[in-house]
Amino acid sequence: MTAVRTMPDGEAPPTAPAAPGAPAPQSPGRMRRALKAVTPGPTPDAGGAAIYRRWWLPWLWMLPAIVGAAAFGVFPFLNTLVLSFTDAKPLGGAAGFVGLDNYTRMLGDSDFWLATRNSVLYAVIVVPLMVILPLFLAVLVEKNLPGIGFFRSAFYTPVLASSVVVGLSWQWLLADQGLVNTWLEKTHIIKGAIPFLSDSWLILLSAMGLTLWKGLGWYMIFYLAALGNVPKELHEAASVDGAGAVRRFWHITVPGVRTSMMLVGTLTGIGSLRVFTEIYMLGGSTGGPGGADRTLPFYIRDVGLDPLSGNAGYGAAVSVALFVLTLGLTLLAQRLTKENES
Amino acid sequence: MRARRLTGSLSCLVVLTLTAAGCGLSGGSDDSGGATAGGCSVDKGNVGSGKLTGDVKGRITFQTTNLKKDFGGYFNGVIAAFEKAHPDTTVKWIDDPGDSQFTQRLVADAQACTLPDVVNLNVNTSIALTKAGYLLDLDKKAPGSGESFGASMWKSSVFTDASGAKVHSAYPWYSGGIAQTFNVDLMKKAGLDPAKPATTILGMFDDALKIAKVSDGKYYATVANPIWRIPADWQQMGVKVLSDDGKSFTFADDPKTVAWVEAMTRMYQAGAMPKDSLSSNQDASTLYAQGKLVYGSTNPNYLRFIQQNNPSVYKKTGVARYMLDDLGHTVGAPQYISVAATSKNAPTALSFAQFLTNAENQLAWAKDPNVVIFPSTTASLDDPFFQSVKGTDPFSEARKIVAEDRKTATADEIALSPGELNAITAQVQLAMQGKKSAADALKEAQSKADELLKQGS
Repeated sequence: MTAVRTMPDGEAPPTAPAAPGAPAPQSPGRMRRALKAVTPGPTPDAGGAAIYRRWWLPWLWMLPAIVGAAAFGVFPFLNTLVLSFTDAKPLGGAAGFVGLDNYTRMLGDSDFWLATRNSVLYAVIVVPLMVILPLFLAVLVEKNLPGIGFFRSAFYTPVLASSVVVGLSWQWLLADQGLVNTWLEKTHIIKGAIPFLSDSWLILLSAMGLTLWKGLGWYMIFYLAALGNVPKELHEAASVDGAGAVRRFWHITVPGVRTSMMLVGTLTGIGSLRVFTEIYMLGGSTGGPGGADRTLPFYIRDVGLDPLSGNAGYGAAVSVALFVLTLGLTLLAQRLTKENES
Repeated sequence: MRARRLTGSLSCLVVLTLTAAGCGLSGGSDDSGGATAGGCSVDKGNVGSGKLTGDVKGRITFQTTNLKKDFGGYFNGVIAAFEKAHPDTTVKWIDDPGDSQFTQRLVADAQACTLPDVVNLNVNTSIALTKAGYLLDLDKKAPGSGESFGASMWKSSVFTDASGAKVHSAYPWYSGGIAQTFNVDLMKKAGLDPAKPATTILGMFDDALKIAKVSDGKYYATVANPIWRIPADWQQMGVKVLSDDGKSFTFADDPKTVAWVEAMTRMYQAGAMPKDSLSSNQDASTLYAQGKLVYGSTNPNYLRFIQQNNPSVYKKTGVARYMLDDLGHTVGAPQYISVAATSKNAPTALSFAQFLTNAENQLAWAKDPNVVIFPSTTASLDDPFFQSVKGTDPFSEARKIVAEDRKTATADEIALSPGELNAITAQVQLAMQGKKSAADALKEAQSKADELLKQGS
């Protein structure tokens, strides 16, 4: 009697070159089913790598991430979607279905449109600058010159500082008697203080400046990594052909890091639509005088999260609007990327 | 194939959405017929009628608001004494920084059914958490436990519960009082008499204009953001802020409020206030400590901050009775201590809340030389410590003045929700910038605040 070597369920049989004229090898699935008919399950001698080939094993490894994404991403998103059709209160309790009322109210709400304008302006101004400026910085600190580590660290430091601390520092810098105004007055560039912290437009622009300053170092690291992948030979060849530094930057460096630029653009686009702390630190709890500098997240906090007078349903509807805006921007970025690639 | 995938995805979406709806919006009672509070399953003894009974043992959490840094010794002592009196108990003390996200954190804790067992609340959060059913009803669960508190203090801890009934859901704790503080040197420089500070709000605004005339931007009367003055100034001026039924705001209908906004605008335009402080989060404390303001914060406790950060300004600080104006007395809600209805160990939490707020423990804290606070218990206020305050330094002066005011003070402070306060403040800011007339700004402020009031009801 010939001993039959059994295979544990799911394990592929050892492969061997098929002899000429031999029947075509069976597919793994058919083979498995055939073997399964002979042997009901794994035998104690099955071991080694076989145990790692169960069909469910990849899912098991992914389970923590899937559970995390479902609990902290999918569920809150869907809950927000449902809430947006109700008049739920921030502290819970009975919530009534109100249909599209929240969305209708939103469309006629001038404060919502003001917040949307501010958020869109934030993205329109901050994204191009955040795509270009860190690239310049990265090019500046790319070469390994003596002491360059100091500058790399210095540029990266704002990333590590807390937004609140940075906000307080900027308040001090931009105050009427702060460092910026004092310096400008002492050098006779201006006569009266520039109202960085009391003019609505200047508060918004200052907040953008703060976002830029805090993000430059972070995206500089992105670009430093990308610059390492730009072949040095191209620069050398261009130099030999007489291309100057500016020409090499536009024709070699920029195309070389284009993918990173698109990524930075998408990330900063999403980030700039979520701005809250900068406005809160420079414009106070009203979001600037008259609430004129409120962004969409700021507005969501005001209308949706106040435990006494908030309407979580309406806040959720504005959150959905913010999501749609973010999604639109991301899709736009993706399309631009594809067009550039083609 | 694509259609099948789409159908599958949509099915998943519907299932998840329905699940989300079920979890996110449930309220009332749970399916098993168990007790619930604010949408959380709780021990049956924590809700409904009947006194709370049970052994005082086990572990509880106790949350204060920004007190650990300065008063760690006191609170650790109280906790140790409680644990000694009840050997089977452990109190874990946590201290929230009390920043702008305090309310949001508390709401998140409540929604997650993880409120601390014993929690320090302000009037706003007490109102919100009582309304949503997250706090223990002390009238039912601890009848008679409010007898030791002063009548006005105990009255101030009545809030409306989910059913619309008025209940005591918090023990009144300490209150700080209110007083005028000012830089004597700067006042003299501006030609004002520190011995005769203003007695009305608008009188003080007139003095501020005098300060603006001589200061030339080197120093200011006070900070500009009206958020620090609303609605306290209006209440002090005798303005009717809310209608009697509490369902609508009435402040814009009073000419005194219009006069107040016009005076604020004049002060701002004349340079009596730093222009960049119009919407700033910083109150008067920081600028006063730098010697740049004539008037400091009205909370006497900030004097400790001045003493620590700029002793020379502290020495120049004068303290006077707050402007009593038309109201004739001061108002101020105390801090509160509540027991969460969601507590898994409510008898212990209730026992600790009562221990913390008893006359002996409140008096011990009030005697701390670095603080001007007043207990809510009648027995503590009768102590000679409050009856014969000695010393002439700003701290002692403040304690003396506020102790005297306590005889007539009430706790009937009008509580605006953060949203209402921001909406009203934003409109006043526009008026101060000259972008709106005072009357228009107030009208718009009232309309927006009414909308929020209706939304929250």
